Amino acid sequence: MLILKSFEPYLFLLPSIIILFVFLFIPLIWNVYISLHDVSILTIIKEWNFVGFKNFYNIFSDYNFYNSLKVTLVFVCGSVLLQFGFGLLIALLLNQQIRASGLFRTLFIIPWTVSTVITGFSFKFLFDDSFGIINYVIEKVGLESIGWFSDPNLAIWIVIVANTWYGAPFTILFLTAGLLSINPTLYEAAIIDGATKFRRFFYITLPLLKSFILTNLILVTVWTINFFDLQLIMTNGGPLSSTTTLSLYMYKQAFEFGYFSEGAAVGILLIIMNIAVALVYLKLFDVRNKKT
Amino acid sequence: MAKLKILITVSFAILFLFFISPMKLIPIIAQEEITLTAIFAEPKERWDVLLENATKILNERHPDKTIKIDYRVLPYSDTRTQILTAMAGKTPIDLISLDQIWLGEFAEAGFLSDLTSNTQKWNKSSDWYVQNWEGGLYNDQVKGIWAWTDVRALWYWKDLLDKAEINPDELENWDGYISASNKLNQFLQKDGIQGMHLVGAAHSPDMWYPYLWMIGGEILEKRDGHPTKQNYWYPTYNSDFGVRALQFLKDQVDAGTKPQINHYWGQEFADKKFAIMLEGSWLLGQFDKNEWDTLKEKIGMIPMFPVPNSSNTNTSTLMGGWLLSIPETSQNKDLSWELLTIMVEPNVLIPMLLQQGYLPTQKSIGEGEYSAKLKSTIPYYEELVSLISLGKGRPNIPEYPIVAEHIRNAIEQVYNGMDPKQALDEASKQSAKALGW
Repeated sequence: MLILKSFEPYLFLLPSIIILFVFLFIPLIWNVYISLHDVSILTIIKEWNFVGFKNFYNIFSDYNFYNSLKVTLVFVCGSVLLQFGFGLLIALLLNQQIRASGLFRTLFIIPWTVSTVITGFSFKFLFDDSFGIINYVIEKVGLESIGWFSDPNLAIWIVIVANTWYGAPFTILFLTAGLLSINPTLYEAAIIDGATKFRRFFYITLPLLKSFILTNLILVTVWTINFFDLQLIMTNGGPLSSTTTLSLYMYKQAFEFGYFSEGAAVGILLIIMNIAVALVYLKLFDVRNKKT
Repeated sequence: MAKLKILITVSFAILFLFFISPMKLIPIIAQEEITLTAIFAEPKERWDVLLENATKILNERHPDKTIKIDYRVLPYSDTRTQILTAMAGKTPIDLISLDQIWLGEFAEAGFLSDLTSNTQKWNKSSDWYVQNWEGGLYNDQVKGIWAWTDVRALWYWKDLLDKAEINPDELENWDGYISASNKLNQFLQKDGIQGMHLVGAAHSPDMWYPYLWMIGGEILEKRDGHPTKQNYWYPTYNSDFGVRALQFLKDQVDAGTKPQINHYWGQEFADKKFAIMLEGSWLLGQFDKNEWDTLKEKIGMIPMFPVPNSSNTNTSTLMGGWLLSIPETSQNKDLSWELLTIMVEPNVLIPMLLQQGYLPTQKSIGEGEYSAKLKSTIPYYEELVSLISLGKGRPNIPEYPIVAEHIRNAIEQVYNGMDPKQALDEASKQSAKALGW
């Protein structure tokens, strides 16, 4: 009876552990297995030869991999900064005592409820070089149309804008929840003590939002690293691979060119990158916590 | 009392069925139900028309069976992945539609049944255009039947050319094509219409190959000395022919034509956003069927890609289209083959070709006894069919998708200012590596 009692917490955890094992660890192990074997469209129903780290070597000796790393860096930094910046700004504005703030909150959430496919197609048509409404307006005011998707330096920013439009509502929702959790008496006391809005933000709001910000940043960064739907729909990685992020590179390797094991190897690298990002964030916030 | 009446009526009905018409009832009870599964690529309407008639005929031929077709129609981009997933998972699928460029990789992977002996018994290969029949072969085995095709041709709006005072004959050679582009942009840009359409989308290589072929170049050639396969394909698209062909695309860009990143498969032409477009025969499908009778009055078509100069009249075009194949995982191979043959029978295929405006791969439909209806319905049908003999397919080898990606990159580089020779040489190196050299 005593033994059963000591195992009780683990028994309660068992369903979650089983789900994690089946849906996370088995695919992960399977992915590692594929990345160490020669699995392509030509060998998928034949024997898979063990090739060690050859797939990783192939990836590291491919120029396109480094290009996609660079594109990923721009895409993730741009998207996270814009999503977080706009998200925080709008969340703060919605947290003011304004009329119909509930309605605005609902309106701002709408983009997040739209599927990425629809978002991708909408922005593709908005910014279409020849038929897009943006270029139509630009031409109507007498300016020359812009090659949004044909200029390799510009295309990635259009994808970032689309991703920000799609992703910022999550940050708004998340940080609004954080702002609502702050005890209003803290602000009242600060106002009585003569604290300015600026000081109240930096000395009350920001420190108390820290855990929300950290979680939000980790989630948004990891999602953005893994995100590939928008790029696939809007540009298919072009022009000149300028929008081929690592996740899209992985997809193309596996499903366009049929190099499944190389795709799996990129998948492993993506997992490592995601873990590293989460650790960096945790470390940064931990250092700040110790300082404060 | 009422219940008793119903009981007596039902009992009599059963007795009647058993004693009065036993010969008819027994087959009903014994009838075997078979469901054939299939994966096809969009648009769905073409399969609906084809399968409605084909299923009916198949069932008539097998009165002892009830045969149903459970078919999934997927967007083009998903079809390859879904078939691949199904094959890898050994899911029993009886029939699939294959883009011609997928045949090589699917056949090499062992996904497709060998139909050689079936086709020998069938004995209809001679009715296929040679290029179309050969497009279904892999290592001398029949792996698919090319059911219908499409060719690329030059389409133009007659009134817009008149407005810019351009004679359509000028479009037939490279210099004329470039100068027409300048004239059109000058006359039409203020109306929001672009002169020439130039493909900058993912399939840009498809619109470059005809220029390469017409001057004697090839995408790949078989060479000896391959490290593992002795004799295997080697990229030759970076030859002088390739450079010259790509220079022509560069000249178009230099003349002010903007490569179009997004492609709407002829809708942009039907919407009169462009005066001239090199596009597949499916472009006709972008116009209302009611307009087909009078379409020739508005739209002109030259059955060719522009040639380098008037003395070189050897044009070329790219042929696409769909093949029907039977996967190795099929559990009803004989019945699937029978269904496939019914689907390509002229009487079954023609209604679909008429509906979609596709071109046949069979001579009897293209030019022979069955062609009359198509000639009278599809605008420019005869001219388009005449292009089939000039058309070529893309290499159906397993590595083709990655080779095409290298060529696409080279074309993009050139659109962005790189020298054609340099772009093709760099792409060719990557392709050689992908081909195992």
